Amino acid sequence: MSRLEIYSPEGLRLDGRRWNELRRFECSINTHSHASDGSSYLEQGNNKVITLVKGPKEPTLRSQMDTEKAILKISVNITQFSKFERSKSSHKNERRVLEMQTALIRTFEKNVMLNIYPRTLIDIEVHVLQQDGGIMGSLINGITLALIDAGIAMYDYISGVSIGLYDTTPLLDVNSLEENAMSSVTLGVVGKSEKLSLLLVEDKIPLDRLETVLAIGIAGAHRVRDLMDEELRKHAEKRVANASSK
Amino acid sequence: MAKDIEISNSESKFLLEALRQNYRLDGRLFDQFRDVEVTFGNEYGDVTVKMGDTRVHCRISCQISQPYEDRPFEGLFLISTENSPMAGPQFENGNNTDEDEILCARIIEKAVRRSGALDIEGLCIVAGSKCWAVRADVHFLNCDGGFIDASCIAVMAGLIHFKKPDITVHGEQVIIHPIEEREPTPLGILHIPICVTFSFFNPKETEENIKGESNEEITVIDATLKEELLRDGVLTVTLNKNREVVQVSKAGGLPMDALSLMSCCHKAYSITEKVTDQIVQAVKEDYKSRNKYSELLSSENAR
Amino acid sequence: MSIIAQMGPLTKVDGSSLIESKQTKIICSVTGPIEPKSRQELPTQLALEIIIRPAAGVPNTREKLMEDKLRAVITPIITRYLYPRQLCQITLQILNSGESELEFAQRELATCINATLIALIDAGIALNSMCACVPIALTSKEGSDETLLIIDPSDEELKSSNSVHVLALELVDQCKTVKNVLLLDSNGDFNEKDLFNILESGEVEVLKLGKQIRHIVESKINSDITSI
Repeated sequence: MSRLEIYSPEGLRLDGRRWNELRRFECSINTHSHASDGSSYLEQGNNKVITLVKGPKEPTLRSQMDTEKAILKISVNITQFSKFERSKSSHKNERRVLEMQTALIRTFEKNVMLNIYPRTLIDIEVHVLQQDGGIMGSLINGITLALIDAGIAMYDYISGVSIGLYDTTPLLDVNSLEENAMSSVTLGVVGKSEKLSLLLVEDKIPLDRLETVLAIGIAGAHRVRDLMDEELRKHAEKRVANASSK
Repeated sequence: MAKDIEISNSESKFLLEALRQNYRLDGRLFDQFRDVEVTFGNEYGDVTVKMGDTRVHCRISCQISQPYEDRPFEGLFLISTENSPMAGPQFENGNNTDEDEILCARIIEKAVRRSGALDIEGLCIVAGSKCWAVRADVHFLNCDGGFIDASCIAVMAGLIHFKKPDITVHGEQVIIHPIEEREPTPLGILHIPICVTFSFFNPKETEENIKGESNEEITVIDATLKEELLRDGVLTVTLNKNREVVQVSKAGGLPMDALSLMSCCHKAYSITEKVTDQIVQAVKEDYKSRNKYSELLSSENAR
Repeated sequence: MSIIAQMGPLTKVDGSSLIESKQTKIICSVTGPIEPKSRQELPTQLALEIIIRPAAGVPNTREKLMEDKLRAVITPIITRYLYPRQLCQITLQILNSGESELEFAQRELATCINATLIALIDAGIALNSMCACVPIALTSKEGSDETLLIIDPSDEELKSSNSVHVLALELVDQCKTVKNVLLLDSNGDFNEKDLFNILESGEVEVLKLGKQIRHIVESKINSDITSI
């Protein structure tokens, strides 16, 4: 990857963004209204993710029932055609994917008010149609939107974003070329607060740079939250208008 | 079969109330790491690490193998972290699909293997056809919390301590010299990652944690098994002595303020420094006790 | 044969033991009686789950064979009818093999059997009798037909031997009398005379080892009582 100029002296990145700019962020909810109780379709740059939420419903297995609270189940399906080169194996039981699922469950477990839906199961499916770096953040955003569409009570939004560190410059919302060329940090931020629900660093970063990276990341995640909020409000207004015109 | 261990209501109330009053059941301070005890066996790369009641054994072994086709200049390195019922009845033999076990295996993998702690290019013998395959087998003997921290220390101490047999290469032919015949060579260690795990407890209601401004969550370093069972969130930070963050994993759990997470990282650094020195010192002392008579044999004299 | 044994080094299981004999070092844990999975359950007696894990690498057919032999030795000495529909998990972790693993398993097997016995006693599982086990090697003296019997052979002695054996005996009456042969596992080149010789000299050694194990258990119990 050394042939590519990740960050030009003029301050432009590979795809023409500046260091603190997000990728194109488009989302819609209630996209699969007959297949699920809540759904969303999210495009974050070239990441394309469909999320379906089914529930709260009666668990199919007795062992999936908890008398105190709802059980949250998240399965991530990374399609074989999601990258430029088609992968040979299905990613279903890869440890990396299992780890992602566990991290997502533990992130949303603390944010969804599970205690008000005892003896039920909330089943979330995420399908990754295309991936281009920072996929974990997109998964978080997709799930947040779908849960809201399903009307499941949550304390706040969780918004996810990845930040790379190129030499000493933090780059917001990395794509896959950037992700492969440098170390990156993934954040899951709760609402408009500075609280992190998820924090993953997988490569080396100098300890003293971490704080600036986190600060940029939190600002970026707040922007993502606002974009999601805007779309949700637009959608809600449309629905209200439809309902009142009938 | 063996179910997840459950903790009684009264015991959990007692533990949490004690935490609220600034006490831990084993009398440690909140930011006190348990004392680490590293002991070596007879052979190179045979390490037992004890932290309180937690006990982890690691065995490093090597053999000659063929490198991957797309990486002809690199040797192979594998870390195996399999649980057995020895560590406690909550573990099942050969079943490593449990959430915690996957997280533990992945964190050690990222901390040691992905971060390049072992110089795998130095394991190449004949490019494209022969290389050393180094294997670290981690055995969990007794579980009282802190498996990730203990096994990372065990793997790193094992890798530093291990020596592979010396070899001579004649074209495609390789002669392995048994360790009795020629002094074996140590592995190339590029840095020493140390994992430090923080556990978070929420003394108030969930709403206060998410909406509140007070940040009164309790942070505890190096939790014991009981604390692990009751915690609301966990953060594992891996650092090395060069002030590099190797890996951070906070996979969900209790939302925490970014600044308090940063202060955790800084606390972890001082522990990393201490533990790194301790490992290096322990290996040095073990080598010394092995070569008690080497001074007599050496040709140096006190001129 | 002499061993260094520690009873109860582990805290999260019901019984455990750590044995060192020459270079061989094995740790054993026993959990039970506990509730079994339904496929393991036996309606009238205790089911045993035995796991042997090697120091390096994944468990192989070699470990499976050792598990099988260990099961054959340990099953008759446990009072199994006392625990119907229950399970006992026996896990052995080899910390140091002390022999060339590709050729031999004698030292490991003998140490596994002794370690399991001590761990079972530590767990308080009812036993019918004691047992003890020694590895034996036969070598021929240079330049003569006479065979030399080595009790508890080291790795080098195993390699230079003609045949290798493992002898486990059931001991009763405070380890003074032998009740039964539990295991005699022989590999290599030997004749009938050699075999009887092994049984004869082996018996003496096994009795000695049995007494040593009794002593280890006694001193552990004594120290436990005085510490109360």
